[in-house]
Amino acid sequence: MTGLGAFLRFEVLRLSRNVRYVGISVGFPVVFYTLFLHNEHPAAHIAGTTWRTYFMVSMASFGAMVASLNAGGTRLASERASGWTRQLRVTPLPAWSYVTTKIAASMVIALPVIAVVELTGLLFGGVRLGLGTWMALTAVLWVSALPFAALGVLVGFVASSETAYPLVTALMFLLSFFGGLFTPVGDLPVVLRHVASFLPSYHDASLGWAVVAGRPPGFGDAGVLLGYAVLLGLVVTWRHRVEDSRAFA
Amino acid sequence: MSLRRGSTCPGSDGGGPALQFSGVVHRYRSLVALDHLDLEVARGETLALLGPNGAGKSTAISILLGLQRPQEGHVSVLGTDPRSAMASGKVGAMLQVGGGSGLPHGVKIGDLLTMTSRLYRNPSPVERTLERAGLTDLVDRPTQRLSGGQAQRVRFALAIVGDPELVFLDEPTIAMDVEGRRNFWAMMRCFSEEGRTVVFATHHLDEVDAVADRIVVMRRGSVVANGAACTIKAAVPTRRVRFASPGADPVRLRELDGVNAACVRGSEVVLDSLDADATVRSLVASGVAFSDIEVTGADLEQAFVALTGDLADAHTVDDAVASRRPSVQTGSAA
Repeated sequence: MTGLGAFLRFEVLRLSRNVRYVGISVGFPVVFYTLFLHNEHPAAHIAGTTWRTYFMVSMASFGAMVASLNAGGTRLASERASGWTRQLRVTPLPAWSYVTTKIAASMVIALPVIAVVELTGLLFGGVRLGLGTWMALTAVLWVSALPFAALGVLVGFVASSETAYPLVTALMFLLSFFGGLFTPVGDLPVVLRHVASFLPSYHDASLGWAVVAGRPPGFGDAGVLLGYAVLLGLVVTWRHRVEDSRAFA
Repeated sequence: MSLRRGSTCPGSDGGGPALQFSGVVHRYRSLVALDHLDLEVARGETLALLGPNGAGKSTAISILLGLQRPQEGHVSVLGTDPRSAMASGKVGAMLQVGGGSGLPHGVKIGDLLTMTSRLYRNPSPVERTLERAGLTDLVDRPTQRLSGGQAQRVRFALAIVGDPELVFLDEPTIAMDVEGRRNFWAMMRCFSEEGRTVVFATHHLDEVDAVADRIVVMRRGSVVANGAACTIKAAVPTRRVRFASPGADPVRLRELDGVNAACVRGSEVVLDSLDADATVRSLVASGVAFSDIEVTGADLEQAFVALTGDLADAHTVDDAVASRRPSVQTGSAA
């Protein structure tokens, strides 16, 4: 088990030292938050809270999603291509630990990304929340990043090292736009509102919006996210098995 | 061979063989990759696995590493099953990586080896591994800034950082130049002389001759020859008859008794013969003028070709090898 700890630490350090990765994961949500904060009046009321708070939640969940998708997708695809995944298979690490460690490393990185966006809201957006609410918000957004961590790893398994990056980018923007992270879902046409209700990105942010509005988080949102996490986890496990048996045949 | 067990050498658990295949069969759909393979490697031995592409070498290695399960038969590695042996950290491997470097991006070599060493129960100190693989000067170099040969050395370091008792190397020098290959095997030699078992597959026959204690030649999923290099060479009936004969007629030479192939270059004649005695007798009887006659045994390259039927007259050589096969089996060298 000490081996697993060393491997996780290695993965997290490698991610956090990658300037481009950190730039994208932290830069995108922070820049978008400061850019679009004044699209509406920051104090305008929306869904039981203010726009500055609502949009901070949107961007924090966007950041966690970007960090998770990029952590898995692009890097895993290139490690499969380079043969590093095969080399790890001939160490004492159990086969399942590669995927679980990738997902865990994504989650470890997602937490500070959420915190940085919250800090931006606090310092530059004028967001004011009670300590308990800050903590609840952080916890909820962090846990609900899990399906995206699994999705990132899945992309890394199905895509090649050339197709992974465009695929991750497309997923990132489709999920965030249609999930209502840039335009509030209430402002979207009815058809798109319907689309949003199927997307994990919408349910992820929804949990956060509920927390800042003082509502109890919806069981429906949590259920959808859990369903996505389980489904993606199963597909990843299956892909990993297929890949493992094929790589050495 | 000398078994100099140094202080860094992992303790041996029992005197059984390092690895053993008995009656192993493995098929990919209709293709038989391993056909009742029997093979035993003693502890401390350096064994070369030879064979043309498709002979079953890679399948055998992936079964030994626990990456595939044999469909029939029994395999044991260090007295246990392959997966347990791998999990115990007493086995290291350097696999073929195709086009890639086999290494993750964005990490210093020292950090990569430190992390990998922590996956093992009783690893070697990282400094020692760096030294063994000739990487001490590259400890702070990121993995994406390595030459092909350097990446190869890092992969060798990854295979030995856990201080394994048993190391598998699948075509370890495939992309190296002559100099790089020589250095690599010098490194390997030092490592194996500490009493470790090394099994490697290669296409470079000169390496085999210099490095291996024993050679196993595989063909179509089973062992066709097994012994020291000299035994393998002796087992091949081909002899080379060389002499000078200005204006010799190759067609006529090919008709001499026992001759397989005849080659005439200027006044120099080279005959490959399955019965050198008969060839020389019929050469004398034929009245062809000759001088400076010399008869030599097969070199390893010829032996390999003869045994695996890669080129030449596979059918004839096959029959000859089949009739000799019992005498080729010398069993374990240790």
